[in-house]
Amino acid sequence: MPQNFDQLPEELQLATSAHVKYVQSLDTRKDEYDYWLTEHLRLNGLYWGLTSLHLLGRPDALPRAETIDFVLSCQHDSGGFGAAPGHDAHMLSTVSAVQILAMVDAFDELETRGKGKAQVGKYIASLQNPQTGTFAGDEWGEEDTRFLYGAFNALSLLGLLHLVDVEKAINHIAACANFDGGYGVSPGAESHAGQIFTCVAALTIAGRQDLVDKGRLGRWLSERQIAGGGLNGRPEKKEDVCYSWWVLSSLEMIGKTHWIDKDQLIAFILRCQDPERGGISDRPGDMVDVWHTVFGLAGLSLLQYPGLQPVDEVYCMPKSTTARVLGR
Amino acid sequence: MADQGGSQHGIARTSRVRTEEQKKRDLERIKKYRELEDQVRSHVSRGDYSPSVFQLTSKLLRLNPEYYTIWNTIGWVIMLDGVLEYFSYRHYNTIFHQLLVIVVGHDPARPRVPDSWEECAPDASGVRKDNNIEAATAAAAAAEQQDLSTIKTELNFTIPLLLESPKCYWIWSYRLWILQQAIQRLRSPLARQIWEEELGLASKMLGKDRRNFHAWGYRRHVVAQLESATLQGSSMVEAEFAYTERMINTDLSNFSAWHSRSKLIPRLLEERGADDAARRAFLDEELNKIREALNVGPEDQSLWYYHQFLVLNLVYPDKHPAMTRGLTTQDRVAYLRREVDEIKDLLEDYTDVKLIYEGLFEYTLYLCQLEGRQPDTGERADLVAWLGKLKRLDPMRNGRWADLERELGLKEGGGEE
Repeated sequence: MPQNFDQLPEELQLATSAHVKYVQSLDTRKDEYDYWLTEHLRLNGLYWGLTSLHLLGRPDALPRAETIDFVLSCQHDSGGFGAAPGHDAHMLSTVSAVQILAMVDAFDELETRGKGKAQVGKYIASLQNPQTGTFAGDEWGEEDTRFLYGAFNALSLLGLLHLVDVEKAINHIAACANFDGGYGVSPGAESHAGQIFTCVAALTIAGRQDLVDKGRLGRWLSERQIAGGGLNGRPEKKEDVCYSWWVLSSLEMIGKTHWIDKDQLIAFILRCQDPERGGISDRPGDMVDVWHTVFGLAGLSLLQYPGLQPVDEVYCMPKSTTARVLGR
Repeated sequence: MADQGGSQHGIARTSRVRTEEQKKRDLERIKKYRELEDQVRSHVSRGDYSPSVFQLTSKLLRLNPEYYTIWNTIGWVIMLDGVLEYFSYRHYNTIFHQLLVIVVGHDPARPRVPDSWEECAPDASGVRKDNNIEAATAAAAAAEQQDLSTIKTELNFTIPLLLESPKCYWIWSYRLWILQQAIQRLRSPLARQIWEEELGLASKMLGKDRRNFHAWGYRRHVVAQLESATLQGSSMVEAEFAYTERMINTDLSNFSAWHSRSKLIPRLLEERGADDAARRAFLDEELNKIREALNVGPEDQSLWYYHQFLVLNLVYPDKHPAMTRGLTTQDRVAYLRREVDEIKDLLEDYTDVKLIYEGLFEYTLYLCQLEGRQPDTGERADLVAWLGKLKRLDPMRNGRWADLERELGLKEGGGEE
């Protein structure tokens, strides 16, 4: 891959300005039914969009003050955040809120205008199951290694990981491991690339990568690349751009990204972009959405596509952000 | 990070330019949707979790099953017991009402006198029968009937939503929450009846999509509950093992079923009280089964993963003792050697399937590991040749082949390249 944009053939050019415009347009679609049907994902969507813009090198393309105002307007007294005002607090939107505030460097505003870091930490910690060490998504109790990862992600960004029983959580992840080196959503569940990302990233945050069977896992992950260059999430399934993140970031964390064909994956992701109207879809020719857009861009960043900002493979945020927040 | 709810999967890209007609229709739909939402919110903001909220939530969730806050709202109404009127609303709108009459033997919406003391008393042992207690018991029975109706209605409400959105986390999660209410609110035989029906749902969902990991996880959870003392259950490992068999026979490529099988085997053998010989016979059967499958589908990763699972049992008996208990190292070497030979036979029919070469490569190294030795000259030549094939047939993973080559010092031997 040449390091210069102009030297790339047309089909390998990233439609940067179209993607920026696409993300900017997302909050202006209030006359579309889908805009309202996806309100339960608003804060997640803001995180996906903002991360996309940061990776595209346009961190200021969304107004900072309004971004902070919106995030804080979603916070509940419990410290947790809902997806939008009027939506209940949930782990997933709380993690997005923390990630957004980290990206725009606004933890101080959380302190002065929000309920404060400590309260957020308390909310997240309250969702840990004291028996098993895993986490629920909210007070209603659904448990999943996604929530465990989310807790570790947000708490470590807030410097509050000590609020939870890390060792018990680690033991729970170990119980989710399978013979193929992968991890499932709970003990007994089949290995799944999304869940592998959450488990390996949580272990990485906790400094416990020693528990990962890297050779076997790397092999399973590398087998996710199929003809056409895209990655699937489980054996004998179709490819999908989102796995350009879940699989690739996991490979990166265990130092095996070179076990797949990077150029073919780059070409696949780029075939999924809408070069005119911006955005990236799951597969070539499908409708784009901001979810696939961020994971496509994050994948391209890990693949060192020219012009993109480096992404942190553990946090799915710009490396510049995690370096600043975590003092790396 | 979040789940993929709400994202677009597999929907063809269009120009995204709407006609005036479409815009108008969108605006109408938005207006209706937001009005409904406002109504629910105004109830909730007043702290009103009364039954009338239910009707509204049902409508809203049919439009948008991903709206988790609304699922929570129903949860609150049920927790706060404001259910009867709501139940009537939903219940009479469905054919389910008639089914319910059959299941519980009467119409739960009508008053009913219990037939016997045992039938309605949560714990009848040693309790004196007097008028007060009878009245209290009748009240408890009525309350239970009400709970049962609510639970059944809610379960029924989510079925069409699940059929439409089988990967929506919130629906599955809400359903499990309702089932948990069955355990907490109903006597265990009744609760058990409710949970037993869930197995049918899991099978139905897996019939529609054999790999749906929500449905597989749901099935595992349901089985664990049905096995638990709480529901006066006993082991279902034989039945579940048979289920994986049926699923595999329908579709050999269903790795989810193979995976489930790998997880059930240790318990299955334990509960059968299998001695060493029986375990060995079991291993033989599993190896035969997967070998036959590989004979017809050597390109199928699912089959190779299960084969790897069996081989790992031979190589790491401490970690996977279930099928290999009592086998000496010599026995295990003999088993593995046979597998390598059988896979070599596959090369007679299939010369360009990379998974075959990968299997040979990996298992030959395991053989050496089991025997505590380095590859001999012949094996080394084989390894070099197979690696050459792998590089040629599977250049996507050349980085991996290069690492293997370097780690094992196979470089100087050359290959087919």
